[in-house]
Amino acid sequence: MKLLECPINGIRPISEFTYGGEYRNMPNPDTCSDSEWAAYVHYRNGAPGLKKEWWYHTPSGTWFIAERNTMTDKVNRTYLLGQEEAK
Amino acid sequence: MTSRIAKKRGEWINRDKPLTFQYEGQTVQGYEGDTISSALWAAGINVLGRSFKYHRARGVLSFANHDVNAMMTDGVDTNIRADVWPVADGMDIKAVNTIGGVLKDKNKYIDYLSPFLPVGFYYKTFYKPKSLFPFWEDKIRKAAGLGEVNFNYPRIIKPKKFAHCDVLIIGAGLSGLSAAVKAAEQGLDVIVVDENKQAGGSLTYDYAGEQTTADTLTSLLGKVESNPNIRLITDAYAGGFYGDKLVPLVGKDGITKVWAKSVIVASGAFEQPPVFRYNDLPGVMLGSAAQRLIHRYAVKPFNKGVVVTANDYGYRTALDLASVGVDVVAVIDMRRNGAPRDLSQKVRDKGIAVHISSCIYEVIPTSDKLGVKAVSVCPYDDISAGADSGHTVRLSCDGVAMSAGWAPAAALLYQAGTKMRYDYSVEQFVPDELPEGVFAAGKVNGVFDSKARQLDGQRAAAEAAAFLGKTVDVVTVPKVEMAPPSHPYPIVEHPKGKNFVDFDEDIQVKDFINAAKEGFDNIELMKRFTTVGMGPSQGKHSNMNAIRILARVRQLPVEKIGTTTARPFFHPTPIGHLGGRGFHPHRYTAMHEWHVDNGGVMMDAGMWMRPAYYQYRGRTMSAMEAVQEEALAVRQQAGMIDGSTLGKIEVFGADATEFLERFYTGKFSKQKIGESRIALLLDEAGVMVDDGLAVRVDDEKFYVSTNSSNAATVYREMQRNVQLWGLQVTLVNLTGAMAAMTLAGPKSREILSTLTKADISEASLPDGNMIQAEIAGVDAKVMRVSFVSDLAFEIHVPYKAGLHVWKQIMAAGESHGIRPFGTDVQRLLRLEMGHHLISHDTDGLTNPYEAHSEALLKMDKPFFIGQRSLKIIAKKTLNKKLVNFVLEKDFTGDMPNECNLVIEDGNIKGRVTSIAYSKYLNRVIGFAFVAPEQGSTGSTFSIRTDSGAMVKATVVKAPFFHLLDNDGE
Amino acid sequence: MPLGLLKYGLSSEHPAPRFFRDCTEPKKSYDAVIIGGGGHGLAAAYYLAKDYGITNVAVLEKGYIGGGNTGRNTTIVRSNYLTPEGVNFYDASVKIYEDLSEELDLNLFYSTRGHFTLAHTESAMRTMRWRAEVNKHVGVESYVVGPEEISKACPQLDISCSGQAPILGALYHAPGSVARHDAVAWGYAKEADRMGVEIFQMTEVTGIDTKGGKVVGVNTSKGYISTNRVLSAVAGFTPRITEMVDLQTPIVIHPLQACVSEPMKPWLDTILVSGSLHVYVSQSSRGELVMGSSLDPYEFHSTRSSLDFVEGLTTHITDMFPFLSNVKVVRQWGGMADITPDFAPIMGKTPLEGFYLDAGWGTWGFKATPISGKTMAETIAKDMAPDLIKSFRLSRFEDYELTGEKGAASVGH
Repeated sequence: MKLLECPINGIRPISEFTYGGEYRNMPNPDTCSDSEWAAYVHYRNGAPGLKKEWWYHTPSGTWFIAERNTMTDKVNRTYLLGQEEAK
Repeated sequence: MTSRIAKKRGEWINRDKPLTFQYEGQTVQGYEGDTISSALWAAGINVLGRSFKYHRARGVLSFANHDVNAMMTDGVDTNIRADVWPVADGMDIKAVNTIGGVLKDKNKYIDYLSPFLPVGFYYKTFYKPKSLFPFWEDKIRKAAGLGEVNFNYPRIIKPKKFAHCDVLIIGAGLSGLSAAVKAAEQGLDVIVVDENKQAGGSLTYDYAGEQTTADTLTSLLGKVESNPNIRLITDAYAGGFYGDKLVPLVGKDGITKVWAKSVIVASGAFEQPPVFRYNDLPGVMLGSAAQRLIHRYAVKPFNKGVVVTANDYGYRTALDLASVGVDVVAVIDMRRNGAPRDLSQKVRDKGIAVHISSCIYEVIPTSDKLGVKAVSVCPYDDISAGADSGHTVRLSCDGVAMSAGWAPAAALLYQAGTKMRYDYSVEQFVPDELPEGVFAAGKVNGVFDSKARQLDGQRAAAEAAAFLGKTVDVVTVPKVEMAPPSHPYPIVEHPKGKNFVDFDEDIQVKDFINAAKEGFDNIELMKRFTTVGMGPSQGKHSNMNAIRILARVRQLPVEKIGTTTARPFFHPTPIGHLGGRGFHPHRYTAMHEWHVDNGGVMMDAGMWMRPAYYQYRGRTMSAMEAVQEEALAVRQQAGMIDGSTLGKIEVFGADATEFLERFYTGKFSKQKIGESRIALLLDEAGVMVDDGLAVRVDDEKFYVSTNSSNAATVYREMQRNVQLWGLQVTLVNLTGAMAAMTLAGPKSREILSTLTKADISEASLPDGNMIQAEIAGVDAKVMRVSFVSDLAFEIHVPYKAGLHVWKQIMAAGESHGIRPFGTDVQRLLRLEMGHHLISHDTDGLTNPYEAHSEALLKMDKPFFIGQRSLKIIAKKTLNKKLVNFVLEKDFTGDMPNECNLVIEDGNIKGRVTSIAYSKYLNRVIGFAFVAPEQGSTGSTFSIRTDSGAMVKATVVKAPFFHLLDNDGE
Repeated sequence: MPLGLLKYGLSSEHPAPRFFRDCTEPKKSYDAVIIGGGGHGLAAAYYLAKDYGITNVAVLEKGYIGGGNTGRNTTIVRSNYLTPEGVNFYDASVKIYEDLSEELDLNLFYSTRGHFTLAHTESAMRTMRWRAEVNKHVGVESYVVGPEEISKACPQLDISCSGQAPILGALYHAPGSVARHDAVAWGYAKEADRMGVEIFQMTEVTGIDTKGGKVVGVNTSKGYISTNRVLSAVAGFTPRITEMVDLQTPIVIHPLQACVSEPMKPWLDTILVSGSLHVYVSQSSRGELVMGSSLDPYEFHSTRSSLDFVEGLTTHITDMFPFLSNVKVVRQWGGMADITPDFAPIMGKTPLEGFYLDAGWGTWGFKATPISGKTMAETIAKDMAPDLIKSFRLSRFEDYELTGEKGAASVGH
């Protein structure tokens, strides 16, 4: 079992967390083309590497960002969205 | 005849506690502390089991928890490992996988067929003609397997414990104990684990006769026991190495999950058998097994024997054997230089002949093939690995001890991600690059000398301490010059084979050579083709020799062959230890007890328990009768359903309206206080996910409901989007905090009026509106809803008041004929009303256009989730449509079921998503997906029933009540 | 004792040839290069040679053949899918499998044992009925059965699941089978090799060379190979290959784990799957229980094992079979599953000319091995995908035309 650090609740076992997928920037829906939007909705960056991901600490209801290497499962840091500088 | 010898210092048996048990119908004496194998061996019983494939007789091999040919059953348990399982007074055991007993096993004939069963034989036959394969397969299945499962075995749940430590040390031998003492001295919190019943590792059998060994062990154990920083756990093994240094320690009573900040693997090495013909006969055993028998269990391994060796361990084994009265005929050393002079002199001084550059060419079995009669010895060239079979000498004996080398017990190191390299100075794989915080010490690290092992343990502890931030002096381990403890190729070929490499799977040398000939000359392919290492011992005594054979076949150095992956578990681990209590939590609503007391037929609804319908007031009805009765009550008088499972979320803050506008498809900006709006949620692809109601409570506050099954996920996605969008919104999940009930039917207003002073008239509280009112003395939210009937009130009260309000309403409704109704009834009622259920009438791909929900899409808003995808979807042609349908009046044919298909011209056009007979309407009504061209009112389509009958259905408008007024269609 | 084995006992020399040549140095050029020496890649090579006479083909495998998901799955073969296109596709695979031992001249231990997908909830029963109806329509033998019939086929199963999740019924699928997974790869390799295909093990593709929107070659750890047709059949490694050619796909990688017990005498004759309990189990011809569960919950490019997995799985196994408490788990392992949003594969041509994709096999790749090989061979040979796989095209995502398997695939093994 892995452990993960919730920015609010500290290090907890992974079973307390829900994975929320990669954090992705939404294209501007008013200006992007249909195929750009379809790609945003369906396609994913599946190659391994360091990724910004959404994680949810279920017992406390906390969404946060984890920077995780999907090849090694090593988490570099976790922070609340928009608060990465504070960390 | 007993082979039990005089008391040995440090022996593991308790001679004050003799006991008796049955083995294969024979009464056997043993002592407390004996394993099954040691007790049987002491009693002169040498045939402990039959092998998996050829059903050959087998005895003791390793005495180290990989004697998987000596597996027992007591009629309750199966596959009990005799080499490590303690005997108990009165136990009645026999060997598994025999027919007619271990001595007379009727399957032993398979051994004679073995020349016709080459490696991978089952791939090469039995399939032509195809029709015969089931016959052969049945034979193979019955021949395979080991023990029989006891279907009456009780479910056993072992408790799980948790532990944390700074340093987890795996192995309480010389290096592990030394590491523990050193680490604890640095103030670190240490756990040491060992799979043996007693700590000490090889100190308990190798050099065990010497005072210095006993002193070393006593001193180390004294330090360990007196140090409060050290927890020593014996009789438990480290099952595997998992992410973030989680190591489960598997003991007899359960698993302790240890999260360690650092791990020192000091798990030692497995002795490896040299390979020669009939090296598997009972009486042929590893030198360390012989030493364990002598020193731990005080059992003489055999009476007259030889030792075949390729290292100094064999000489010490010979001395140990001689010391307990074994007539050691010879030490046969496969090396050209033999042992250091002083050691070989000691052996010679005991009158034991030493033959260097020699090997055992074959063992001569006794006439019953159940034991050793003699060995045939011949010259051996250890560079070419050539045996000169033209010059054999026969030595009579009844036992053989084998010490040709070791393989590191490195499974956990591999699992941790260690890169290993082959070290020619010790002729074994050793760690090359260790992962962060993982250390290796002792034999697993290629360190064999006693003094050096102590230092190596201390070195590893110092490195672990430094890793954990302690300032500690580096410990250096001087290299001790010694001959390699392992032979690079202890394998003697024989034209007649039966020189076993893998005793679990009965794999002989030629099997590897032939596998390579057939192209399986990659170690992983070879493993899969020969099945080496795939038996219950997981290659502990076979993988290393397999690698050596393949290296020789391919004429490559051993390191180029690599190793196979070592996966958990280190030893096979019981399912009852691993599995916990089946954890299937249920949630009860505030009114749960009432439902149960009043005949509610409770069903799982996600995590909740809900009544499907009621056997009301002790009556016994069919489900159909009950459903129709409850539905009629709602249509004609009143009914009430417990709706507490609805998701209930409070959304408030300056941006609450903006948030809902973005989150749901509808418009909320102009919504008046007290009004409700449908809240339809899509995903980014435009698929319908959930629908509920959003009531504006005040300018900056909404009370939002969701479908019961989506409560948690909708709340979670709300939270994510609040953060993502950076809005001033607070969310409170009231799902569990509020009870809810829907009072429905023509009498519902009259009933509710008796319990409140609030004005709930049509004018004051029209459909879709909500007021805050006192109901039966409880502050409640009262909402007009029309999901199940035109006149209905949804009443939300705090959880604690739920039962009180429910009972008050039921009492008030008594004289009006009120009935409680369940979820099955709700399904029928909403169907009559023409309301579809998301994820019942829709699936994971349904968009709002397909489910006639366009009216809920406010496409002129700047943004809502799924909107951009809908703009793309809207340009495409619709390929299915959800419609309302009826069957013919007084339909009596084969009743269609949900999920029956809509068929036209032999093609699937859609499916029925909901269907029910409505007694109120006296019609069969439903929803179905159909092709768009079949979707207009008045169109007909065909449903194929379970039995294949085609039933005509007609598309009608919803709600279905117009069917009462005229003939509908 | 079958006569075919006599020669082994009567000959002093092992009388069996190599299954496949030991190819070491690739040629400068091939008519087609197949990346991935798993079941799918080898089957594609075999059908290219057999059906289209294209034998100047190299299969490049970075490890050893069949060492990826081919050798890591729980070997279940079935066709009881939800959509007609899914059922048709997998049924074609089952039909090839049934005769494949004879065709490849190797016993694949293809064993038709019947397959029960257990339903513990009303909504699961609805899905079972839906699948049964579609299967029946296409001519595949699947039907909904009640608890009594399940008990008859597997009397040891606790129908109440220790009171935790009572079984209401099941989808019974008569053609459900298991097979010896490694042998499938070996058999295809053997016969492809016999027809001239060259199989290179321990050979890694490091780049794909393109010119003007067309494939012209591949860079490998053994040098450059020019070719204008490349098939990627690499399952869990797909994103690493598609990244080389800047091709976007929906594929994400999640580990899928499995484990086996110690061998025991046969008692479980059928294949059982429980969606609610996330369990699938069968007993191999060696006597081991082969057990699997659902995907790991988050993206991870690794075949490591987790304790969570085996704890969860064994808990649920004992809900079904309480008496297994003292049966031991010998070994656990993992594979990397390439998951798509609609639980269907991605097969066929791509926007890059000459680059063909056979991917998105998630947890359902082994059962499709023969038919994926056959249809991809056709796609490569004709530069056009056959109708059977048209609904699996990559462009379906851009077109918002996902396949409808989403509903049935919560546990779809």
